[in-house]
Amino acid sequence: MSNSLDSYLVLSGLLFAIGTFGFLARRNAISMLMSIELMLNAVNLSVLAFGAFVAPLTTHAAVIALLVIAVAAAEATVGLAIVIAIYRNRKTPLVDEYDSMRE
Amino acid sequence: MKFLIPLIPLLPLAGFAVTGLFGRGMGNQSHRIAVWAVVASWLVAMVVAFGALTGTLGFGGAGTGITLWNWIPATGFNADMGFFVDALTACLLIVVTTIGMLVHFYSIGYMAHDPGRWRFFAYLNLFMFSMLVLVLADNFLLVFAGWELVGLCSYLLIGFWYPRRSAAEAAKKAFLVNRVGDMGFALGIMAIWTQLGTLNMQAVFAAFGSAPHDWQIAIALLIFCGAVGKSAQFPLHVWLPDAMEGPTPVSALIHAATMVNAGVYLVARCNPIFGAAPEVMVVVAAVGIFTAILAASIAFTQTDIKRVLAYSTLSQLGYMFASLGVGAWTAAIFHLMSHGFFKGLLFLDSGSVIHAVDGEQDMRKMGGLARKIPTTYATMLIGSVAISGVPPLAGFFSKDEILGGAFKNGFLWVWAIGFVVAGMTAFYMFRLMGMTFWGESHVDPEKERHIHESPTTMTRPLILLAIPAVFLGLLIGFPPESGLLHAWLKPVFEATIAASGRTETAYNFFGIDGVLAIATTSLVAIAIVIAWRLFGVSMPALGLKVQPRPDRVRELSARPGLAFLYRGSSNKWWFDDLYHQLFVVWGGRLAAAVFWFDRTIVDGTVNGIGVVTIGAGATLRRIQTGRVQNYALGIALGLIAMAVGYLIIAAR
Amino acid sequence: MPIGDSIPLVGVRWDDVLFVILAAILLGSALLVVTLRDIIRCGLALTVSFASLAGIYALLGDPLVAATEVLVYIGAISILILFAIMMTQTKNAPTRLVFQTQAWIAAVAAVVIAVVIAATVLTTTWPSGGQRLATSTADVARMLFSEYVLPFEVVSVLLTAAVVGAVYLARRDSSPGEEDRP
Repeated sequence: MSNSLDSYLVLSGLLFAIGTFGFLARRNAISMLMSIELMLNAVNLSVLAFGAFVAPLTTHAAVIALLVIAVAAAEATVGLAIVIAIYRNRKTPLVDEYDSMRE
Repeated sequence: MKFLIPLIPLLPLAGFAVTGLFGRGMGNQSHRIAVWAVVASWLVAMVVAFGALTGTLGFGGAGTGITLWNWIPATGFNADMGFFVDALTACLLIVVTTIGMLVHFYSIGYMAHDPGRWRFFAYLNLFMFSMLVLVLADNFLLVFAGWELVGLCSYLLIGFWYPRRSAAEAAKKAFLVNRVGDMGFALGIMAIWTQLGTLNMQAVFAAFGSAPHDWQIAIALLIFCGAVGKSAQFPLHVWLPDAMEGPTPVSALIHAATMVNAGVYLVARCNPIFGAAPEVMVVVAAVGIFTAILAASIAFTQTDIKRVLAYSTLSQLGYMFASLGVGAWTAAIFHLMSHGFFKGLLFLDSGSVIHAVDGEQDMRKMGGLARKIPTTYATMLIGSVAISGVPPLAGFFSKDEILGGAFKNGFLWVWAIGFVVAGMTAFYMFRLMGMTFWGESHVDPEKERHIHESPTTMTRPLILLAIPAVFLGLLIGFPPESGLLHAWLKPVFEATIAASGRTETAYNFFGIDGVLAIATTSLVAIAIVIAWRLFGVSMPALGLKVQPRPDRVRELSARPGLAFLYRGSSNKWWFDDLYHQLFVVWGGRLAAAVFWFDRTIVDGTVNGIGVVTIGAGATLRRIQTGRVQNYALGIALGLIAMAVGYLIIAAR
Repeated sequence: MPIGDSIPLVGVRWDDVLFVILAAILLGSALLVVTLRDIIRCGLALTVSFASLAGIYALLGDPLVAATEVLVYIGAISILILFAIMMTQTKNAPTRLVFQTQAWIAAVAAVVIAVVIAATVLTTTWPSGGQRLATSTADVARMLFSEYVLPFEVVSVLLTAAVVGAVYLARRDSSPGEEDRP
């Protein structure tokens, strides 16, 4: 099983689905961000899986994965800063209270 | 001298403009411009008429035209502003301008105390302009314009005392009923245009034979429809009696002498059209003579003095149309002229009587006025004698020609009914005289003290009108069927008379013509005697003095057969009620139904679109929650849909 | 001493066992992240999932990325998240609803996504060799500074911008009237 590409990809898909569910279903903004991190990691996993099993892609996959991790870090930073700023304004971290743009 | 022709209508038009714009400020001098305009127009008209009738002064014998400018120069449709004068026009000009001028003089006195007199004179001038345009026009479109304008003036003048509700409603009724006839006329004009391609009257007459016969009948019927409306023939006769709500000079001018003659003039002018459709001429004769007897029967029981005269006008107009229908064209014009004068005289006289008894119009409250208002009495007596057809006054000659023409041209039923109507005419006119002037006075004692003769401004026109009432017949109609009038009008009608295949037999007093004349005169005499017996007479000069017998009248009108006739006659044979039921009640319901449809369905649909749009917007608004997760869910669902769809397509 | 390729007597390869265990931990902690009520526990579960992912990366023959995962994700991002949780805590947080109203639809959507991905993956023939290939760090370093140097520099700029932005966004305004406002 560990030698087949399919299992890693299916694992990555499941992780992505779990991340999607968490993003759409949780009320806390930080939970949403955590779900986003899960989704990013799922993508990372699939990239590395391709790199491990398809010969010409090995180094490329590693580099791409590193860059994705860096960007994910940056995005988490800014996202959390925004959540903190909004929390200071609205005094709640729950996203269904952030509806001042509603019609 | 052709340039004089446009002056005839333009002078009253100028009078209307000046009086209309400045009359209010002119106070009791507001009549001056109007009256001067009409006098000037009369002078010019007399010159033009003289020229046209004698063929001198630059007027041709067969008619002179003058085109002012090209009115509607559209491709394929051409109408000019032009006038045409021939002998027929000249006869009408004489009647219209003379009676118009005398009515203007009369109105100076009659309307002396009315604050709206400037409006009155302005409208009178506008009416003169319209009528003259109608008479002088050389193409059907211009005739129609004049036609509509006289209708408008009639509306304005009938409703002159508009604060009075009955006057306003009578004006509306006149206009609406006229409109019905005008519709037919307009359709006839359109038919002429589509069939013949031109609206110029002389051109139409020349080319009329080339139209298909069905179209000829249709055009003739439609033109007659217009005449029925304007001249108040059955079934559009209901407006004329109500039109008596207007001031008496209006009744005299418009509803006796000029406007109602427009229909007769139109049919006479279009005689080639009618000549080509003999079936329609039978219709014309039938409608005319039926109106004559219908109106005469109603006049038997009317109590308002002006109403009697109104029904009398209807009856005489019926005579004219009957005459046109049987082919006695010149007789119709002769009767038009003589009727214009003596009916105008009678109306102005009735105005004088009403003025004398301070506004009372009910004859049952008059009586015994002969001594008190002698000039009015004398002129009215002359008028009554004239209309009854007693020789040698004007009415005798014209009526006799009509009846003779009917008999000799084979329309025996027309002759028979006309014969009876002649007797009826004499009866109701002398009934009027009896109730108004002879017998005891039933005048309200308050008013009796103030009975006075009218001022000279009013009596002078009366006298002036009495003269042609007496002498016109002798002047232009004697010897019968070969007098001056026949000579004048020969070129207008000879083509039609020749085409109808009848030969004009010379008048022979010792033949059939004399028999007819004597028969008519005898019936008239009997009728007058019966009227005297029932309603009284008092003419000391002739040694006659008979008391009225109202009990006998009551007894006669209560007899079983006669009671129904009496009731029908006083209810105007229920025509007004019929029209009210048909058009006002049922028309009103139809209008209400259509209004419901328009409001509920049409407006509902349009408003409904708006409501649906707003509703859709309000519903779709709820998607905008302002929450990121809802939007993200939407994205996710869309993504899933696309992916699944792609997979399905790729799997095929 | 060398362990050998597979477990003796059972005949299951060590790699497979390792893969199954790590996958189970990963999925289990991921589920905990999205379902736990207490958000601090979610954060801790997230850290566990990162750790198992690092193990899987190592299993895939890429120790560099595994180490980077531990350093960056567990060492920095998890701490960041825990700090943020600490700063945005409300007093009645544990007693209120965890999930939105639309959680059911989201669950269905997630399941569908998983199924679609799995179906696609399993039905496609990948050009794979069937053998895990190890990544050489030297090659990665070389490639990072030759072929991917531009993205590398851009990412560093991005990181700078992100840090500056985050500092600015999250700074406490020092105007006196602010803290009194409700």
